[in-house]
Amino acid sequence: MTQVMTHEERTALRDSVRRLLADRCAEADVRRLMDTDTGHDAALWRALADLGVAGMLVGEAHGGSGLGPVELELVMEEIGAALSSAPMISTAIAAKLLDGDRARALAAGELIVAVAPLGAWDWTGQSAVRISNGRAQGVARFTPDGQIADLALLAGEDGVYAVERAAFTATPLPVFDRTRRLADLHIDGPVERICDGSRVAGALAVGLVALAGDQAGGARRVLDFTVEYARERRQFGRAIGSFQAIKHMAADLLLEAESATSAARHAAAQLAGDGADREVALALAGFACADAYVRCAKDGVQMHGGIAFTWEHPAHLYLRRARSGAQLFGDSRHWRERFIQALEARS
Amino acid sequence: MTDEELKAEVTAWLAANWRGAPPRTERFGRDPRAEWLAKVRDAGWAAPRWPAQWYGRGLSDAQARIVENCFAEAGAPGTGQDRSNLWANTALAHASETFKPQIVPKLLAGEVGMCLLYSEPGAGSDLAAIRTRADRVEGGWRVTGQKVWTSGAHIADYGMLIARTDWSAPKHKGISFFFMPMRQKGVDVRPLRQITDESHFNEVFIDDAFIPEENLLGNLGGGWGVLQTALAYERSVMGDAARGARSGAKEAHGDAALLELAREAGKLSDPVVRQDVAQVIAWRMLNSLNTRRAKAELGQGTSSSIMSLGKLAMSRILHEEGRVRTELLGPESLLQGPDHPRAEDANFLSLNAYFTSIGGGTDQIQRNIIGERVLDLPREPEVDRDVAFSTVIAGR
Ligand SMILES: Cc1cc2nc3c(=O)[nH]c(=O)nc-3n(C[C@H](O)[C@H](O)[C@H](O)COP(=O)(O)OP(=O)(O)OC[C@H]3O[C@@H](n4cnc5c(N)ncnc54)[C@H](O)[C@@H]3O)c2cc1C
Repeated sequence: MTQVMTHEERTALRDSVRRLLADRCAEADVRRLMDTDTGHDAALWRALADLGVAGMLVGEAHGGSGLGPVELELVMEEIGAALSSAPMISTAIAAKLLDGDRARALAAGELIVAVAPLGAWDWTGQSAVRISNGRAQGVARFTPDGQIADLALLAGEDGVYAVERAAFTATPLPVFDRTRRLADLHIDGPVERICDGSRVAGALAVGLVALAGDQAGGARRVLDFTVEYARERRQFGRAIGSFQAIKHMAADLLLEAESATSAARHAAAQLAGDGADREVALALAGFACADAYVRCAKDGVQMHGGIAFTWEHPAHLYLRRARSGAQLFGDSRHWRERFIQALEARS
Repeated sequence: MTDEELKAEVTAWLAANWRGAPPRTERFGRDPRAEWLAKVRDAGWAAPRWPAQWYGRGLSDAQARIVENCFAEAGAPGTGQDRSNLWANTALAHASETFKPQIVPKLLAGEVGMCLLYSEPGAGSDLAAIRTRADRVEGGWRVTGQKVWTSGAHIADYGMLIARTDWSAPKHKGISFFFMPMRQKGVDVRPLRQITDESHFNEVFIDDAFIPEENLLGNLGGGWGVLQTALAYERSVMGDAARGARSGAKEAHGDAALLELAREAGKLSDPVVRQDVAQVIAWRMLNSLNTRRAKAELGQGTSSSIMSLGKLAMSRILHEEGRVRTELLGPESLLQGPDHPRAEDANFLSLNAYFTSIGGGTDQIQRNIIGERVLDLPREPEVDRDVAFSTVIAGR
């Protein structure tokens, strides 16, 4: 049974994540991780697990808190705003696919799981894994968190298969966005079928909502620091925010950022409640949040001028993350098409 | 000379002399093709519209274009600098009679590395608010201040510098324009890392550096006017072309390359992709048609307002091409590095587009200029425009 939080409880959860990230995932921490091989902060992940975040979607019977997409989305807004590399999207998807001891270990933050969607779910269009007679062989491409995974899940229409660490090697990819690491998984070895394919769609929908939350949070953060700069930076004897060219861009970006937040939260609510608008809402979040984030980050750079063309300024970190999120799990064209298909199906 | 005679002469000269030159991969610093460029200069082809006294041939615009076409056909660089060489044009128009003969030939051959010392931490869009000072001393000036975003300063021999020489004049009127020698004590260049992970631009700390008397361009206090000449050349160059790939190759983007990428991606029959690719190529084509018409009008002696549009147009082209390339590549665009050249190009283009939309005056400033100077719309009120600069800074 999914637990439902009160508004106060949700706010408290979000605030505790925000405080933790402000403390442990400041810009300097993000940059330090960007320069490491794995990009992973094990101590921060343990701290998030202690807050109950790693296990938030795991059922109470397995040591989790049995929460749903609505709370996940809120937490992801914070993770996205902080550019955290915490493997939360992978963990959220895995929580919907794992049971028993593995779910328990996942909730405790002790097991990091990478999920590779296959077949019709393969958003990369480039993965090729053959599974037969209890063995799998092939490659799963662009897998988030693959480089730190203790376990991989192959999620296809005909079932979900667990691959232990010994049966795959992860090749970290040279990614443009160093805050979100991806790896190619080269799989060759025994697999264990853990459930049938019917759970996959729901699990991946959770991942999509998580990503949408990340995007909404990132878009909002870029807007906030850009507007703050526009208030302070002076040229021609006035704050640049007093120029309509800047003020109007800021207003447009607010519309984008708020729309992203609405889309992400609506998708979360629909998914949680199994609402009639579920497919429409998910597809909408699939492109609206990505597009809004890219626009906020792009215009954010422009609104800063030369300072944002430097590596030391955070704006490009958001632009990179916005661009990577806009490819992950399918691009905007894909989701716009899914959106209109869902609309057609509904009418 | 008839057009045919001219064409024959250029063709024969190229046939006798052009044996290729090393590629120019760096936009800044001394030009690796200097040896060839010196030959072009000495033969009078570098700036054929200029008078013979300044290495030119005094050709009309139409005839100069014939020279340019011959060079283009041979694939030889070096002509047309009377239109495109920002440094040489600025020096020719404004340098002192002592300094001009020293510097102009070197600029035409790319024998000196150059940079633009305009922007400061407090003066970007509002360039007239600069606080770098140049004080008169025996034989020249002493300069102190800080410049920023200075592309190529780390490999420059000279910087075109704007500095304040009169603090009691209003902000546009107390500025002078200099060629400052960069390789001297008192000039400290510190590279800045860019979002493209390159380091082409720098902070420049100037502490009591010396500029000889003859390196003043234009009149003392007339630097703003000189700057307008230099900025016009810079913006027109930026409207013509931009760096689309890390390698510096101009052609890594452009029409053929974009079509080819769509084909390689197997998406050239996708109707949405077709529309997107068509739009980018159309914008590029319209921009070059505009430029061509503007140049023709200038050649006929009428000033063209279209000239101001190129940089703004290019900025839109580059940002949109970055988007379309990213979309064409899909997941591949998540990657970077030498093993993923197509992704590298798409990501580089998407970031480096800001070089055009921020550098050389932002898109927003460019729109203000078009509105005010071309369309003659009323000026944006500027509170500190006619106030003595010393009063302006006292009030901040
Ligand atoms: C890649 C690159 C290379 C460069 N190379 C050089 C160089 O070689 N030499 C050099 O001197 N400079 C160079 N520059 C600096 C460049 O010219 C300035 O960055 C630019 O003029 C903007 O100034 P700024 O960065 O101070 O931004 P600001 O002037 O602070 O502008 C911030 C924002 O406010 C907006 N804004 C400001 N005033 C107005 C207004 N009146 N109306 C509407 N909007 C306004 C701007 O459009 C921008 O969005 C370079 C910049 C870049 C990015």
